[in-house]
Amino acid sequence: MKVEFFGYERPDGTVGVRNHVAIIPSVGCSNEVAHQISHLIRGTVALTHHQGCLTPPRDLDQVARVLIGLGKNPNVAASLIVGLGCESVDPDEIADEIAKSGKPVELVKIQEEGGSIKALAKGAEIAAKMALEASKVRRKKVDASSLIVSTKCGASDTTSGISSNIAVGQAADIVIKNGGTFILGEVCDIMGAENILAKRAVNENVREEVITMVKNLSDLGEALSVDVVGTQLTGGNRRGGLSTVVEKALGASVKGGTAPIQGVVEYGEKPPGRGLYLMSTPGHGFENLTGVAAAGSQLMLFTTGVGAPEGHPIMPTIKICGNRETCSRLMSHIDVDVSQIIEGTVAVEDAGKKLYEEVLSVASGKLTKAEILNFDETMEILVHGPIM
Amino acid sequence: MRRVVLVNRKDNVVTAVSDIQEGETIELEEASKRIVVKKVVPFGHKIAIEKIAKGRCVIKYGECIAKAKEDIEEGDWVHSSSTDPRGAPNNIEEVYVPPE
Repeated sequence: MKVEFFGYERPDGTVGVRNHVAIIPSVGCSNEVAHQISHLIRGTVALTHHQGCLTPPRDLDQVARVLIGLGKNPNVAASLIVGLGCESVDPDEIADEIAKSGKPVELVKIQEEGGSIKALAKGAEIAAKMALEASKVRRKKVDASSLIVSTKCGASDTTSGISSNIAVGQAADIVIKNGGTFILGEVCDIMGAENILAKRAVNENVREEVITMVKNLSDLGEALSVDVVGTQLTGGNRRGGLSTVVEKALGASVKGGTAPIQGVVEYGEKPPGRGLYLMSTPGHGFENLTGVAAAGSQLMLFTTGVGAPEGHPIMPTIKICGNRETCSRLMSHIDVDVSQIIEGTVAVEDAGKKLYEEVLSVASGKLTKAEILNFDETMEILVHGPIM
Repeated sequence: MRRVVLVNRKDNVVTAVSDIQEGETIELEEASKRIVVKKVVPFGHKIAIEKIAKGRCVIKYGECIAKAKEDIEEGDWVHSSSTDPRGAPNNIEEVYVPPE
């Protein structure tokens, strides 16, 4: 039986669950103009960040890769790049690469236009045309295999590892069974379970990549004299009942379900195929969400214990909570209450199916709480630094 | 109303989802048994559902999360005081943190 949702078909064969016109600053210096355009023109979102200059070449490449990936994300109908003129990241290159998707791309440079007001005027006119054209695109019935779903846990508590995260893992298995792709990240949370996860790698190369991904983080910690492992089990975690880092890491990794691991991708890199992939992302939300959005993830299953409110400008985040008390107080921020798993009135498999139904529903247009509250404007791009 | 959660059929511990009182009897549907809880176990903490001998694995999520530091009886509270992360196959903790 076909599993389908209603999405926006893009020229490159990808399918969006939203239809944004993205105003993309190539550098943090263009944020104000991007912001102002997004306020003038309906249907546009500003993807503001603080990078694009004065970082080592490795970071500039990463920032460029992410900006291109954001423009290529299927939820974006068209992109307007706003450059300054002297930044290290090349806005022309960003525009050219996004244009390969077949979607409309334009570029405005503040210094060339003669200042922010002139750049704002020109940019707003372009954005207005883009918004009009985007509004003509209709949702079509498409196969669920077009979905790249990501996941994250934020503000976790004791309920996360025994209810919401397990339910997400069930949903992950369904996403993959229906031909889709699922991305699990947060290397710091996987640390402790990497050997267990590595056993599910499809081949020896991938097995090594899983181990290396985690080793890189602990090596970095050692180089900076930061006890990464030590920070992973806090006093609060112990008081809450977690006894070892392995226990905590398993409770986090369970979000990825049980499918074989096809590969490990870099931050912001699109998975080369279908199935389960790991991505090297931090637990810190602003960079994490941007990394998977740049990889083409159309939506995210985001578990929370005590109530993490943030969303992302172009990627809807479905908030899932297994803590009954949090749900009763913060339901304005939560999309799916799975506390019945803990109460014993709902089996975790059924909660997983319910989450998958929510994925299809949000994919077809249902708004998430973060979108309704406009709690989805803050984002950031990960850099390694130093910032010079 | 459910008192404990068994995460995986291979597990030898369950996690309390209420504060469990001393002497309470817990029904384990999945294992078709009842256990008597020896001491108070707070929300989120683990209870052994069978004896775990010293040096054997505490199993949760179907994997070894720690080794028992001493014999743990069925119904005992299981946490840092009776377990050691070192020795568990996937352990990455170098330092044993004494319980608070």
